[in-house]
Amino acid sequence: MNDLKFAFRQLRNSPGFSVLAIVTLAIGIGLNTAIFSLINDLFLRGLPFKEPSRVVHLFEGDKSRDLVDIGVSAPRYEHFRDGQTLFDGFAGENFFLFTLTGLGDPVQVFGGRVTSSYFDVLSVRPILGRNFLPQEQEGADVAVVTKNFWQKRLGGDPNVIGRSIALDGTAHTIVGILPNMPATWFGANPIAEVWTTKPFQIPGFTYERMMRGTSFLRVVGRLKPNVTLKQVKAALPSLDQSYRTQYPNKIDSSLVTTAKTLPEDVTENFRAGFITLFAAVTFVLLIACSNVANLLLVRFSGRRREIALRMAIGASRAGIVRLFVFESLLVSVIAGGVGAFVAWRLVPLVPRMASNFLPLEANTASSLSLPVLLFTIGLSILTGLLMGLYPAMQASRADLVDGLKEGGRGTSGSIRQQRFRKILVCAQVALSVTLLAGAALLITSFMRLSQQNLGFRSQHLWTGAITLPTAQYPDTASRQRFVEQLLNALHDVPGIQNATVSGDTPLNGGNQTLYARGDRDLPPLEQRANAPSHDAAPDFFKTWRIPILAGREFNEHDTADSQRVVLISQTGAKKVFPGENPIGKTLLVTSAATPCEIVGIVGDIRSQRIKQEPGMEFYLPWSQDNFPFVNVAVLSPLKTEAVTKLVQSALSKVNPGLAIAIPQSMDAIVAQALGQARLMMILLGLFAGVALLLAAVGIYGAVAYSVAQRTGEIGVRIALGAQAADVLRLILIQGLMPVVIGLGIGITVALALGRLLRTQLYQVSPHNPALLLTTAIVLGLVALSACLFPARRATQVDPIQALRTE
Amino acid sequence: MIKLRRLERRYPLGKEKFFYVLRDINLDIEEGEFVSVMGPSGAGKSTLLHILGMHDSGWAGEYFLAETAVHHLKPKERATLRNEQIGFVFQQYHLLDDLTVYENLDIPLSYRRYSKGERAALVADMLDRFQIVGKKDLYPSQLSGGQQQLVGVARAIIAEPKLLLADEPTGNLHSSQGEEIMELFRKLNDEGMTIVQVTHSEKNASYGKRIIQLRDGWLVRENR
Ligand SMILES: Nc1ncnc2c1ncn2[C@@H]1O[C@H](COP(=O)(O)OP(=O)(O)O)[C@@H](O)[C@H]1O
Ligand SMILES: [Mg+2]
Repeated sequence: MNDLKFAFRQLRNSPGFSVLAIVTLAIGIGLNTAIFSLINDLFLRGLPFKEPSRVVHLFEGDKSRDLVDIGVSAPRYEHFRDGQTLFDGFAGENFFLFTLTGLGDPVQVFGGRVTSSYFDVLSVRPILGRNFLPQEQEGADVAVVTKNFWQKRLGGDPNVIGRSIALDGTAHTIVGILPNMPATWFGANPIAEVWTTKPFQIPGFTYERMMRGTSFLRVVGRLKPNVTLKQVKAALPSLDQSYRTQYPNKIDSSLVTTAKTLPEDVTENFRAGFITLFAAVTFVLLIACSNVANLLLVRFSGRRREIALRMAIGASRAGIVRLFVFESLLVSVIAGGVGAFVAWRLVPLVPRMASNFLPLEANTASSLSLPVLLFTIGLSILTGLLMGLYPAMQASRADLVDGLKEGGRGTSGSIRQQRFRKILVCAQVALSVTLLAGAALLITSFMRLSQQNLGFRSQHLWTGAITLPTAQYPDTASRQRFVEQLLNALHDVPGIQNATVSGDTPLNGGNQTLYARGDRDLPPLEQRANAPSHDAAPDFFKTWRIPILAGREFNEHDTADSQRVVLISQTGAKKVFPGENPIGKTLLVTSAATPCEIVGIVGDIRSQRIKQEPGMEFYLPWSQDNFPFVNVAVLSPLKTEAVTKLVQSALSKVNPGLAIAIPQSMDAIVAQALGQARLMMILLGLFAGVALLLAAVGIYGAVAYSVAQRTGEIGVRIALGAQAADVLRLILIQGLMPVVIGLGIGITVALALGRLLRTQLYQVSPHNPALLLTTAIVLGLVALSACLFPARRATQVDPIQALRTE
Repeated sequence: MIKLRRLERRYPLGKEKFFYVLRDINLDIEEGEFVSVMGPSGAGKSTLLHILGMHDSGWAGEYFLAETAVHHLKPKERATLRNEQIGFVFQQYHLLDDLTVYENLDIPLSYRRYSKGERAALVADMLDRFQIVGKKDLYPSQLSGGQQQLVGVARAIIAEPKLLLADEPTGNLHSSQGEEIMELFRKLNDEGMTIVQVTHSEKNASYGKRIIQLRDGWLVRENR
């Protein structure tokens, strides 16, 4: 306790040191705490389901057909449900946008159509009412809604169970209220809030067509007790095989099933990113530690008289080391407190910046939980020991103290300290160059990504979605009529330059659809190629500003009764019709192999992701092929909200019972698609900046201290003929030597760690020599200027003063 | 060799007041002379030597060294002139602890225009002349005081200066070690080197041909 009081007094007596050390460490510990807190929320805290790691998500895929992690078809779902023995429960979900009417203006609400077992498998208990019953799965019009839906849209009605709501024009009875669902599993934009039964329906598909094997369900199963994921993975091939044998000609017959646990599934996309960020903040903390270690070394060594005195009255060396380590711990624990506070303020900012791609609940991430607090405390103590131990041992060396007593010129201690200081500088430089190299890669990658030609132009483009109730719009013709009316209504609106409609929008869509050449033998369904297909109304290409490279765009002469036509992408033309002119040829599309005449070739677009490789894609006219999901695109110089109002009023003229979902500018969608890369770039750039700053301070401190210690030597050298340039060279060479070694080590480490970044990079090699060189030069220049100030001071040493003080 | 006219050195002492360390010094030293500067502690002897050695530039008056008007030179030109003309010996030797004898001798050469070969030859020559070849790889802390000052003198003259300045070169030595250094000085003087030393000892002063007395910054008396 006495030691604690003494340590406190020591810190209070030198506020300059204390503030610098605490601020430096607080930055390091705060960043670590913030990142750990995010990792805790994303990876460790888990989903708010019971034992989420016992819930397994099944995916289908076929590498040879570029199909990765797609959904499961209804016949396969049933086959697996009945054939498996490892799951307690098995369930499927089909995402859905409903139009909610009868509660004020019509709105679109997001949710799904699920099997009756779905919420039991996830183990979600309703807070009111019940989950779906097996007999409700196929026939009943029932719904469950979230607490949020209940309170916001139904005013928290206590008699909500049994109340009826209109979804897509059909009355559904509410049977249960669920807790709000985690964005981790259901997504955050838009938030899911309502579910109904009847999962095996694809709007616009006949039952027969759906049963051909279109993959559309998200399938989960809860493992029986004592069953492992490994056992599931081992059982999948025989299930796949029996499905293939039983249904040799389904679209999905040849697909291969894979399994992931829920936590694995929801985190895998950003795991690499967070490993990178965690490594980065660890580097920052290590640099901060080494800066403070240097300060402590100076501080402890400066207390030789105190050490000698304590030893003289009987203190052991261990006692002195303990005293100093205590002081170091006190600094790091105070810094940990400050850092935790900073993190507590910083962390809530992340969901706000990242909600569209990081599945974080805006409210949960804002509280620092117990694991995070334990992490911070542990880290602080580790930091205190790490940085304090060597300086304490060094300062309490017996020979140093003896040397002092004899008044001799013993310098071995100071040589050892010089070496320690050089090692610290070397480590700092190595760490910062590694970080800087990583940041440079991500920044370059982001620039490439954001400059990627998307194939369309997003400026002044507004998009919104409308779901058509199948009761009112049961067939292609009725949906075509709706679109004609809507586009007519939009046509004369001032401020709207162009308007069009499509089944999906670039960056967000493209159903995988089967196709085959009409002039070749038709491959069986399970071997047929597939590509993203898009249903497009006239003016689609004009509005999205996608170039028509050959032939023509769709127009009003392409009707349900006219010749079926198709447009294909530039790369598709090259791939499917190499060396030929595809115009006039026939493409057989969908599982029904409907013959369509190719009437045009259009530019490639990034229809699903920015990072996508261009490939075969095709477009069908809305009049000949469509589903009840309408995406409206409007070219207008007006603001998003203004366009939304214009479109909404045009829509109410056509059908007052419909609503627009997720109205957005296309620029915003592009920005969101860049969001994760942008956040990674900003964070890593920030950390690298902090690291660079700390390293610069560290180098400056080490060189300045060595100049101060060597004033006498410099004075002698000047007296013996050294001129300013000679002194400058002396200090710079000695100061920069560890920097150069650190640069070498750092670049080697950066090359080795580049692999970690590979998955996050776009069109940049992790071993880009020009970037590494630039990084090294930047750091070299920073280090040079950090050395230059103390070196310049060294040239101004007054030899007389220096010689006198010796 | 040296001509001082109305040389003055003062330090500010509060507002508008000055503390005069050297006042109105007029002095002529011919080439080949061996001059001893004497006087009580605080008289300004070291100050005078540092001015002559151009370690200090905050003085007023005129200082001619070998016909060159030092008071008109820019700092860089002064440094060049100093490196050509002057060697300096310190009372506390001021050898660099982390360098060997060999490396200590090499320092002055590294700051002047000598080729690598010339430097090695000059150092070897100096080690030989001072009979310290066997000690060339030792560190200063491994030498006695007398041996250290011997290295100090060798280092001062290795770049072949015309003028050797020594501030109490024997102040930290036993008398026998001191004599050795003085004999060395006499020999150097015989070979033509101009020497100005500060000393408290009459005996050391007797090695020279001329004594200058300083008191409170005044040049009070000259014995020739
Ligand atoms: N930087 C300085 N500021 C003020 N006074 C100084 C300074 N340097 C030397 N002095 C004073 O100048 C006087 C002469 O000093 P010095 O030349 O070292 O004397 P000596 O070598 O004769 O013993 C002393 O009184 C000393 O205190
Ligand atoms: Mg003196």
